[in-house]
Order: sequence, then structure tokens, then C-alpha cells
Amino acid sequence: MRSKGLGVVAFVVAAAVSVIAAFNPGLAQTIKVGAPLPLTGPLSPEGTKLRQGYELWLEELNKAGGIRTAGSRANVELVFYDYQSNTPRAVQLAEKLIVDDKVDFLFSPFGSGAAKAASVVAEKYGVPMLASTASSAEVFDQGYKNLFGLYTDNSTLSEPIADLVTKKSPDIRRVAILARNDLYPMSLANEFEKSAKARGLQVVFFEKYAIGTMDHSAALTQIQGVRPDWIVVTGYINDLILARKQMGDLRLTAPVVTMINGPAYNEWIEATGALSENITTASWFHPVLNYQSKDLFGSTQNFVRLFKDKYGSEPDFTQASGAAVGVILQQAIERAGSTDRDAVRAELGKGNFETFFGLISFGPTGMANSYVPPVYQIQDRQVKVIYPEAVKTGEFRLGVR
Amino acid sequence: MLAQIFVNGLLLGALYSAIALGFSLVWGVLNIINILHGSLIVLGAYLAFFLNAWFGISPFAAAPVAAMVLFIPAFLLQLGVINRVLAKPVLITLTLTFGLNLMLNNAMLTVFRADYRKVVLDPPLGVLDIAGLAVPVDRLAAGAGAICLVALVWLLTRTTQIGRAIVAVRMDRDAAALMGIPVATVYALTFALAAAVAGAAGALLSAIFPISPVASAGYLGKAFVICVLGGLGSIPGVVAGGFGLGIIESYGALWLGPEHAGTVAFVLLLLLLLFRPNGLFGRKGFE
Repeated sequence: MRSKGLGVVAFVVAAAVSVIAAFNPGLAQTIKVGAPLPLTGPLSPEGTKLRQGYELWLEELNKAGGIRTAGSRANVELVFYDYQSNTPRAVQLAEKLIVDDKVDFLFSPFGSGAAKAASVVAEKYGVPMLASTASSAEVFDQGYKNLFGLYTDNSTLSEPIADLVTKKSPDIRRVAILARNDLYPMSLANEFEKSAKARGLQVVFFEKYAIGTMDHSAALTQIQGVRPDWIVVTGYINDLILARKQMGDLRLTAPVVTMINGPAYNEWIEATGALSENITTASWFHPVLNYQSKDLFGSTQNFVRLFKDKYGSEPDFTQASGAAVGVILQQAIERAGSTDRDAVRAELGKGNFETFFGLISFGPTGMANSYVPPVYQIQDRQVKVIYPEAVKTGEFRLGVR
Repeated sequence: MLAQIFVNGLLLGALYSAIALGFSLVWGVLNIINILHGSLIVLGAYLAFFLNAWFGISPFAAAPVAAMVLFIPAFLLQLGVINRVLAKPVLITLTLTFGLNLMLNNAMLTVFRADYRKVVLDPPLGVLDIAGLAVPVDRLAAGAGAICLVALVWLLTRTTQIGRAIVAVRMDRDAAALMGIPVATVYALTFALAAAVAGAAGALLSAIFPISPVASAGYLGKAFVICVLGGLGSIPGVVAGGFGLGIIESYGALWLGPEHAGTVAFVLLLLLLLFRPNGLFGRKGFE
């Protein structure tokens, strides 16, 4: 008699839970997305920015009621760990996220090197991983099926600038390249070298500097000695603030100076002041862009507005990248109608995601190939888009003093 | 070009001296490897940055303010926390300052954010042309400030009662205590003085290097190398180590490529440790 009563209670409870679950999306499935982040150590600025991008996406997603899957809505839980800017640790944590935390999908660690390292784990377990900040083709040359990169190849940054430079002034012949000895900046520098040579320009200086360099004066003095017409410096924002300051200290001038990555963002312009004038750069995203999108942000400008409301500053490309991989994953799951990894992977492969970041499709290697990153120039301490024509806000100027 | 590289190295060397001074003082007197040192420099740089941004105060004028602001908290930190573990093995003091550094660094990340900033002098101080050599005036001023800082600390240890007490504790703590010197207070004063010097150095560097909490590790690494190069606890050694490293790195970058500038310095450091383990100016006692 007692066991019959318990059975009835259990049935009633189970039925109630099913009914509540059916009518309340809040109790629906939770999709777990894992993200190893460099929240401490040398990459902590970038890690913090990526996290801000993810969190803005999550906040907007929650407001919208979650991700639509077959007939219901799913919440998203972001599970992240700090890998302390240590790539081997990022790989360990990616595995922990898959094995222990049982995440459904992964966002990559920051940058090309760590993304490449972690992609081995994602491939081993068949977990689709969206690389938010990997732009080196070398990351995608392993034939993996689970790695999808938001950024286009580094050559898409060098080619448009090389075109602009050679069209603007046929007198520009001699190129000096100074690169941070790191996977992405080196890959970028190599692309600039190729782009310059392909146009018949002479690369008269090509050197690397070590990560953490506190003085560029010796390299810049050597560059001064070879009298280049076009100086290209690759690295991260701290490297480029210091390099530009020391160029000024040494009175090193050239018709064109290109620095990637950093000059398109306010903190670089504020830190270099008048020295920012006429520096050219390129980036996959900038708040001045205005794409209309079918993601939950609706447009680039709406994304920028929401970001400003939440964080009080304009988003840079790292922050935007964090949110962009979120909306791409969301669209892929919604198209697949489930969290089945094979189905989501197939949808990611189909591409055509209309996002605030631009139209995103992935090439055969998994790297985005559907857009051309704009070229910018700092003019009167404002960022002007000088390429492509469709979004141009200023004319390319020569002369960096 | 060789002459310009030499000038670059000299200017860099003066800045390196400022970076290492406080670190050397603490290591020499307290026998503590102060992992907090780099973050104290960054904190000084932030103070100068905000004084400049809000009140238009030059970072060179902000240096004494940064020193004063850091002095008292550092004194209390040493007296209340670090003094408690001074007699413990080096690993304990190392771990303590490592932990304190994590706290300060993360607090700065929270308060100031990780974005890079830099003091932009308006109007810029310009570049001197001396016999065709470019000498940036802001670097020259920061370098001169750095040398003044070193000279002040040297004078303090040579001519004042507090300075002589610091030297006495450095030479023989037990004998100093028997002579009536309050050792715990002298330790606290030394740590506070080192923090003040780090803060002032940070202010001087704020117009030269990008400012961010993550820059602290770079300063700490340089300070370590300079101290070993120049000799622990030796104030002239800090100057020799700083200039030596600046010039070696500059010529190393020229001859072997910028990528290997640091390698040259570290190879030299290894050789020095083999053949002159006390550094260029280091010795058992204090001067």
C-alpha cells in the first residue's frame, strides 16, 4: 500500500516537472560552452577583453530568452578558467573543460599559438571550437574539422595596405619590417614581406624583437640607417606605443608607417598623442563600421552602443571578437535545432552568418574567408577608414613625422 | 650609428638604474627578493599618470609625490607583515612578497584596468641635436632624475643617522641591535625607502614606457639582472649595472639583432656569476 502511494507521488512529481519544463524555457536544457582565458599574466588585458565580449553576448542572449533549439529555448552557461597566459596550461584546461565539465562547445584561448595548441584537444574529442583571435594560416593547416576561426588570414591585412601604398606613391621602394617574435606578429610580418616583394618593393630591413622588449632604439637606429620609405612594425599595443615613441625620440620619419595591432584604438592614440598622426593600420573590426546583421545585436552600431552602456568604453576588435564567436555559435545551434556536435559542426561549415562583425563564412581549412578587414589611418587623432571604398571615411595621406 | 647606439644605451642605462635601486636596497639590507618591486614601480607610474591627467602635473614633479604616497603604506606593510617572516628561510619571504604582488597587481587590474596608458607630455619636450646625435629631452630628464634619485639614496646612507643605521643593520644585524639600533624599525624604514624610490622611478618612467599592471614583471626582471650585475646592496653597483646592461643590450641588438639583445646580457650575467659572483661592486659588507 505504502509503495503504491510513493509510486503515485513520484508519477505526479515527474509529470509536474515535465509540464513545467515544457512551458517554462527557464528550466530547459543548458548548453555549456568552455573558454580557457588568459585572465592573469602578460595576456591578461586581452583575456579580460575577450571575457567582456563573451559576457555581453551572454547578457543579451539571456535577455532574449536563450538559444532557440527544437521547440524550446536553451540557456547558455559559460565555463571558463584562467590559463595564466601559459599555453600548455590552456591545453590542459581545454581538456578539463571537455572531460570534467562536459562542455558542449569550446571558445579558443587567446591568439594564434594557444588556439593552435588547444585545437589538438578539440579535434581529439570532436568538440567544435570557435577561435576568436587566431589569424595565422598556420593555425588552420592541420586538417582539423572542429576548428573555426573568425579572423581572415593575415594576408588580408597586408595586401590592401600594400595596394594603397604602391598606388598612392610609385616613389615608395624601400621597406623596413620590425616584428615581435611571436606567432601572430611574425606571420603578419612575413605577409607584409610577401606583399611588398610581390609589388617589386625592396625589403631593406627585416628583424625580430623579443617578447617583453623594453627598448627598440637600437633596431630603430638601424632602420634609420637604411632610409626606408615604408616602415612596418608588428606586435601588440604596448610594443607599438613604445616603438612609436622611440621613433619620435630618434626623429625617424617615413612617407608611410604601418603598425599592427593597436593604432586603431583610443588607448594607443591617447598614449602616443601627436605621434599617432598618419599611422596606417588594419583590423578585422572597428566601432566605426556599420554592418546590419541577423544576430541578436542587429547591427555593428547597436553592438557598440550596448558595449558602451555596459563597460563605458568603445569595444576594440578583441572584445568584439568575443561577442562575435558567441553569436556565430548561437546561429549555428539554432540552425541545427540541437546541440548535437555533428549537426552544429555541419552548420558552422555552411557559413553565411550575418553578424555585427561582418558576414562570416569559413573556408576549407576552417578560417574565415568571407570579408576583407578595413584599412585605417589616424588623422587628427581620429580613426579614418581608408579602405574599402564602401565604408571609406577619409583619404590615405602620406608623411609620418 | 655606433655613437647613436651608445647614446641610446646610456639613456636606457640611467632608466635601468632607477628601476633597480629600490630592489637592490631591499635585497641588500633585508635579504629579501622583493617580488612586489615591479608593481610598486607601476603604481608610481599610475600616480604620475593621474596627477598629469587630472591636474596637469609633470611626471617629473610627480616623482616626489609618488615617493611620499608609497612610503607610509610600505613602512606599515614591512612592520606589520614582512618583519614577521624575516627570520624564516628565503622561500617563505619570497612566497610572501609573491603573494603580496599578486594582491597589488590584481587590485591595480581591477581599479586601473589592463589597458595600456602613457603620460603624453604636452607640449613635447623635443629632441636635442648634439653633433648629429638625437637625444630625446624627456628621456634625458628621466635619466637625470634617476641619477639624482640614486645620488640621494647614496647620500642618505652615507651622511644621515638613519642611513648609517641601515648600513649597520646590513653589515651585522645582531651587532647593530646590541648598539641600540631598533632593527625592526630600520627594516621597515628600508623597505619604505625602497618603495618610495620605486614609486618615484615609476613616475619618471611614466612618460617613457607604456603603463599597465602587466608591465610589472618586466621591471622586476630588469631589476634582478641589474642587481646581480652590479652587486647586491651596492648603490654604485646599481648605476654600473644599469648603464652596463643598457649599453650591452643596445650593442647586442645592433650586432646580433634586436631579438638577441637580452640573450647577450644574460650570457654576460652567467659569466659574471662564474668569475665574479658578488657582481661588479658587491661585497659582503655595505660601503
